[in-house]
Amino acid sequence: MMKTIRVLVSCTAILVWMAMGVCRADVASTKHNLSVNGPGGIKATVESQICVFCHAPHNSSPSAPLWNRRSPGNTYTPYTSSTAKAIAGQPTGASLTCLSCHDGTIALGELLSRTVKVPMAGGAITMPAGNSNIGTDLSDDHPVSIAYTAALVAARNGELVDPSTLAGKVKLDKQGQLQCTSCHDAHDNTNGKFLVIPNTASALCVSCHAKSGWSGSDHKLSVATWNGVGTAPWPHTSGTTVAANACESCHRPHSAGGRKSLLNVLAEEGNCFTCHNGNVAAKNVQAEFNKISTHPVAVTTGVHDMTEPATIQSRHVECDDCHNPHAANHTVGTAGGSLAGALAGVRGVSISGTEVKPSTAEYQICFRCHADSTGKPAPYTNRQFVQTNTRLEFDPVNPSFHPVAGPGRSAKVPSLIAPWTVLSRVDCSDCHNNNAGLGAGGTGPNGPHGSTNIALLERPHALTSTPTAGDICYKCHSQSVVTKEAPHNRSAHLRYGCKACHDPHGISATQGNTINNSRLINLDTDDNKPVGNPPKLYVDTVARKCYLSCHGQSHNGDSY
Amino acid sequence: MNLKRLLLQVTTAVGLIAAIGQVVAGTITGSAHDFSTQAWTGATAGAPNGGRICIACHTPHRSDTSVTDAPLWNHKLSTASYTLYSSPTMDASVTALGGNSKLCLSCHDGTVAVNSFGGVTGTTMISAANNIGTNLKASHPIGFTYDSALATKDGSLFDPASKQVTIGSGTQTRTGTLTATLLFGGKMECDSCHDVHNTFTVGGLGSGLVKVDPAGSKICLACHNK
Repeated sequence: MMKTIRVLVSCTAILVWMAMGVCRADVASTKHNLSVNGPGGIKATVESQICVFCHAPHNSSPSAPLWNRRSPGNTYTPYTSSTAKAIAGQPTGASLTCLSCHDGTIALGELLSRTVKVPMAGGAITMPAGNSNIGTDLSDDHPVSIAYTAALVAARNGELVDPSTLAGKVKLDKQGQLQCTSCHDAHDNTNGKFLVIPNTASALCVSCHAKSGWSGSDHKLSVATWNGVGTAPWPHTSGTTVAANACESCHRPHSAGGRKSLLNVLAEEGNCFTCHNGNVAAKNVQAEFNKISTHPVAVTTGVHDMTEPATIQSRHVECDDCHNPHAANHTVGTAGGSLAGALAGVRGVSISGTEVKPSTAEYQICFRCHADSTGKPAPYTNRQFVQTNTRLEFDPVNPSFHPVAGPGRSAKVPSLIAPWTVLSRVDCSDCHNNNAGLGAGGTGPNGPHGSTNIALLERPHALTSTPTAGDICYKCHSQSVVTKEAPHNRSAHLRYGCKACHDPHGISATQGNTINNSRLINLDTDDNKPVGNPPKLYVDTVARKCYLSCHGQSHNGDSY
Repeated sequence: MNLKRLLLQVTTAVGLIAAIGQVVAGTITGSAHDFSTQAWTGATAGAPNGGRICIACHTPHRSDTSVTDAPLWNHKLSTASYTLYSSPTMDASVTALGGNSKLCLSCHDGTVAVNSFGGVTGTTMISAANNIGTNLKASHPIGFTYDSALATKDGSLFDPASKQVTIGSGTQTRTGTLTATLLFGGKMECDSCHDVHNTFTVGGLGSGLVKVDPAGSKICLACHNK
């Protein structure tokens, strides 16, 4: 008996499974069946015809596809973006027919073939508010009625597939235009949302979009899942991994919060923090921005623009300025060598001030804002030679510079801690980084997102006191060696920090010279005052003599 | 309300229902194409051969044979030129109307009076509701070959060679492939959907003499695999 029941249960389970597996492609089983027998919430009270809500065999308009609804006649607000090379005008063709219900302005039961509106259940007149009601403002929707041509592909730097290769279910209309019907099949809801193919792993999006670097991007490949804490990261999809959501982790084709890039939410960084808060991505980057020194991504919204020049004019910072979410990956970079995957595919500015695309070294990305941009803040330290353009500070033609853009000039730097040598190159992030990241011996996220130290330094930096063992300078320059060397070997010479005499970035060749400004000498003018008559304020690094008065201690030609 | 009036109303209602009920599939009598009560078919009292049904379209002798396979045609033919259906998504090619469709349009394109037949030029034009006009672009395409190849190419049409459909209603039904029941020479024409003589229709006045029930859009879904 039990066996019989078990067999019966098994058979039932198989039948249910089979039923679920059957593709219900027929329009009658979809929400587009507005007849009284329709499965959705929006349906007629009596009318049993299905096709009639859209089609009529006679007197249709427009004739193809035998449309039975009047044209909305609305003026729509089309999608716009500075990066969109195809300008979307007023919707046409198939898109306009869809809008005869989905813009929410025409009664669902208002049909050309009927003199009286078909009564709808629950008194529903027009499309109720919600995802299905696109409205007349199409600026938060993927553009439609745009010509998808080879010229468009070229204008988008090849980041779209050749339209002539669109052989699958994603189709353009006969005029070569992308319409609602390119992504949606009104008669078939097999894939949900009437999509022509499932959008798992953004298969639908990538039918057209071929973002540079995407194939190796973690945003395409990561199988990270949500840990269930906080806000659900993927509210409008059914995917449970980053890879399954792909484009939709950040973007949505309709009702986008960030319109011009069709981002899920308006605030640019909000799209990143959805996952980079420790709940999907392992490291909590979002929390970094609560520290005292940050790259202030939350300060601006809508200022960042994809088409802005490599050298940013209206200074701002968004995650997107340093990271390319379509190309970013977890490849580990090498100090002063290969670029970290997190910075893959990002534009930058070369040491000579020209655009580099993509950047080949980290400093090129930093130069976007910290070099030739206007509106930079004054330096932390007042010095003999004021320079806020880091590109000029790090130029290898300078009398001295930290070896960011090329190896340093000094043949002998005894304090360097292995593996650093005089031939090494450093990255900006060797000094400017998370105070709790790997470089600082912590486990926090890498990179200069935020730090508890001034100037987004990875480690503390003494400004008015003797540097401690943990000072940022001692990260690479051995404290024991430094403190034994002249002139550091006199304790008073370290009392106001390394910065009293040294400019950590460099001294531009246009301002300093090799006699007075080698070894990163650029005197802090708050610590050092002129001495003698006529007044002198410099260090002769060749004769090893100082001409300055440091906190009342006069050195008018004293040797070191 | 007095009993007499109520009785009268009930009787009238029953009579009406009975009248509609009479227009069942299988008989042209009482259908939309039964012209026997029209004055122009000789229904006027005293006219010879009054109350004829078929005469508006057919004649036993001296018929118009200008349309291929015209069935003893008696109605004046239309000389209108038609805008044929086209659609960017249609795989079928519409090049010319079939003869049988032309016969329908001799009334339904609205250019020839309904009572222009037998060599007489009439003046009664078809009602607006039944007037297809000469712009056939606004109507379902006709005059194209609907075969297995088209079904394959389109992807959302049933194979007419194998898909079965039942046309008609009540005792007057016929079941067969789309090709056998709906197509003429393998082509879609007016009479693919409509049965001019009400032989195999869903019955009822105002039903458009359609061969398959529009309820649930069965008539559309007979061919369209949507």
